[in-house]
Amino acid sequence: MMSERILVTGMGIISGLGYGKQATLDALCSKHSGIGKMKYLQTIHNYYPVSEVPMSDAEMMDSLGISSQTIITRTPLLGIMALKEAFIEAHLDKKRPRRIAFINGTTVGGMEKSEQYYPDFQNTEAYIAAHDCGTSCEAIAEYFDGFDMITTISTACSSAANAIILGANLLKTGRVDVAIVGGTECLSKFHLNGFSTLMILDKEACKPFDAKRVGLNLGEGAAYLVLEKEQHAKQRGVQPICMLSGYANTCDAYHQTASSPDGQGAYLAMHNALENAHLHPHDIDYINAHGTGTQNNDLSEGTAIMRVFNDNIPPVSSTKSFTGHTTSAAGSVESIISILALLHNFIPANLNFNNPMPELSFCPVKDTLTKKMQHVLTNSFGFGGNDSACIFSKID
Amino acid sequence: MDALILELKKEIIEVLNLEEITPEDIDENAPLFGEGLGLDSIDALELIVLMEKNYGIKLNNASEGRDIFKSVRIMAEYIEKHRTK
Amino acid sequence: MNIYIQAAAQISAQEPLSHAWFQHPLPLSERYVRSVEPDYKEYINPMEARRMGKILKRALATSLNVVRKTGINQPDAIITGTGLGCIENTEKFLTAMVRDKEMYLQPTYFMQSTHNTISSQIALHLKCNKYNTTYAQRGISFESSLLDAYMQFELEKIRTALVAGHDEMTPDYFVLLDKINYWKKGEVNEAILRKSDSVGAISGEASACFMLENKKSNLSVCELKGIDILYNPNQKRIKDALEELLGKHNLCIENIDVVMTGINGDKDNDAVYNELERNLFPSIPLAWYKHLVGESFTASGLAMFISAMALQEQVLPASYLYNGSSAIQGLKNILIYNHFQNKEHSFILLSSC
Repeated sequence: MMSERILVTGMGIISGLGYGKQATLDALCSKHSGIGKMKYLQTIHNYYPVSEVPMSDAEMMDSLGISSQTIITRTPLLGIMALKEAFIEAHLDKKRPRRIAFINGTTVGGMEKSEQYYPDFQNTEAYIAAHDCGTSCEAIAEYFDGFDMITTISTACSSAANAIILGANLLKTGRVDVAIVGGTECLSKFHLNGFSTLMILDKEACKPFDAKRVGLNLGEGAAYLVLEKEQHAKQRGVQPICMLSGYANTCDAYHQTASSPDGQGAYLAMHNALENAHLHPHDIDYINAHGTGTQNNDLSEGTAIMRVFNDNIPPVSSTKSFTGHTTSAAGSVESIISILALLHNFIPANLNFNNPMPELSFCPVKDTLTKKMQHVLTNSFGFGGNDSACIFSKID
Repeated sequence: MDALILELKKEIIEVLNLEEITPEDIDENAPLFGEGLGLDSIDALELIVLMEKNYGIKLNNASEGRDIFKSVRIMAEYIEKHRTK
Repeated sequence: MNIYIQAAAQISAQEPLSHAWFQHPLPLSERYVRSVEPDYKEYINPMEARRMGKILKRALATSLNVVRKTGINQPDAIITGTGLGCIENTEKFLTAMVRDKEMYLQPTYFMQSTHNTISSQIALHLKCNKYNTTYAQRGISFESSLLDAYMQFELEKIRTALVAGHDEMTPDYFVLLDKINYWKKGEVNEAILRKSDSVGAISGEASACFMLENKKSNLSVCELKGIDILYNPNQKRIKDALEELLGKHNLCIENIDVVMTGINGDKDNDAVYNELERNLFPSIPLAWYKHLVGESFTASGLAMFISAMALQEQVLPASYLYNGSSAIQGLKNILIYNHFQNKEHSFILLSSC
């Protein structure tokens, strides 16, 4: 049914590439990566390249009109910045629909402050309540006011993609009129150290799908999509951007931090998303891969891509070579990047690729490619084998 | 070497939280990974931290550990050769 | 569409993995209450257990308990709610990081600290590739999980679901939350909590796990008729939402036999329930449970466990009645009402079957 289609009517993004869709697009087209030397995060491991949002907390608060006395952590600040852009594009700042759900993905939450004040929170007790993931969601919701329902998904690197899925289900069951979905994550010492102990960080810029890849670079950012049913978008008179045509979530169930050699979870996620979208593998024009640059992920995901697409593998690239791995925000950051690619008819480059992986039958796209597209697929795979895939399509 | 092997066994039990196992249960010549004690890739990372923390030996990536952690004896021999603490 | 709770399991301040305590729960008299641990060897082998903090062991034990009871070992969805996540392991990593200035940190603690470790450990154990997710929205983390499952049943995407709520409370985190008045100061007992004349509740831990299925069987404990979550609702919004939920089943507020509330002794928390009682439920008995299991982000999972037991055994003992009335027999519909700091509100409707 035409009126049951789920459309994207607003998008907002902030990352190491800058603030907003235009800055993101410009960076992608000019092949300007956001990965570089650490500037804001204070850690002894400052030799790891990261992709930081080029704004301090104070600058963001100033830009948002939030008093400097407000108790708020970096994760929700990034979220508010990104959501603001989406809000305006979807005309939610004008006439507000009655039932809006806000679904946020985050894992860091307020940890970036907690780790500074731990263990006593001496004179900083107000930040104790800001620690858990759900507080970030509340902080964002409070800024915008008027949400009917909020919740937080915390599934590490697939959080934002899972938020998209929940939002779609809330719309399909008629529980809400609009679902704002996505994720936000800032850098923290806790998580940088955590990834470092797992020995999956690269001390240079990451090289997704390269035979000599060593690991990932962490990134921070936030991104949200506004979803609503077609009929509702028409009634509101808002211009739709594209369609969310399919999605799926599965579990690899192989290991706590490693993906299975045959990429079973990834395979099922992509396969089920295609089924959900009523599309065939050959319909997909571009895969925005999870492509972290770790030995394990790229092999597992690459294997899964070969299993799904066989001899007809569409162009693949990982834009984590631009934004770094924004973990809980990756699903929505990369969805927006995929949608920008879809609308502007180009495939973003997979930066830093030089050496084909001998195990794979394909190479990622090394250079920005012009291509008219209809359907794009984006993958987000989290720790614990939480594998999600979303498909976005042009509206005919 | 025997003293180091015993010390290593105790440290392995502690850092890997092998609650039900005593040093006497661990055969220093048996494989640590796969069969034998049945440790996995996360345990390997823990042992890499142990090497650096207790013996000052820094390994640069997880795969370097594969040969060193073949058994407790091989580990002990490597530590004896390369320790800086 | 009908959804049934086919099995339920809990670990809390009461007897773990049992419901024998339901009719005679033990009262609490400490501010900081930890769950009673079962013998995990029946569920988890030592090589696995060595890495697991308490919350993970509890999650695995309660999950495997309901899996074994029902024989459903590949549920179509595994969904967990947890407000604080694996705080014990988070603290271990954080403490070491601060103490040792980011040197020699152990990867296991980090790996087992992420919220979704719980759901993924369960899937790993069951080798289940199906839908898997984790919610972490403070006091409605459990309800978020339940809502997700409920909608998937509605959309006919799933026939079974393992839904749970888990939260643990470490001594150190208890101290932090004590600084911001989460916990009752001084002596605590039921009489003191009933007064609701000061801030703070009893700190508890919660693990509650449910196997849901879309068909009735001789295992069925009760029926899950509906669930809703609201953010910052006014009284009218709450009334409308509740009437809509009840209306779907040709019910009205008067058909509710008892409202299971999250009254916990904190004056601000309890004032919200008092207002709800005045506006919506003036003649319906109120029940409470946090005086028996303590307060935690996912305590409402235990509310659902207790309510399910009441519907199965067809009695809600006086221990749970807030208004001081005697036990209620012959229960048909229980409404579980929960709110978190008057921001997030939720209600769950359970019915006998």
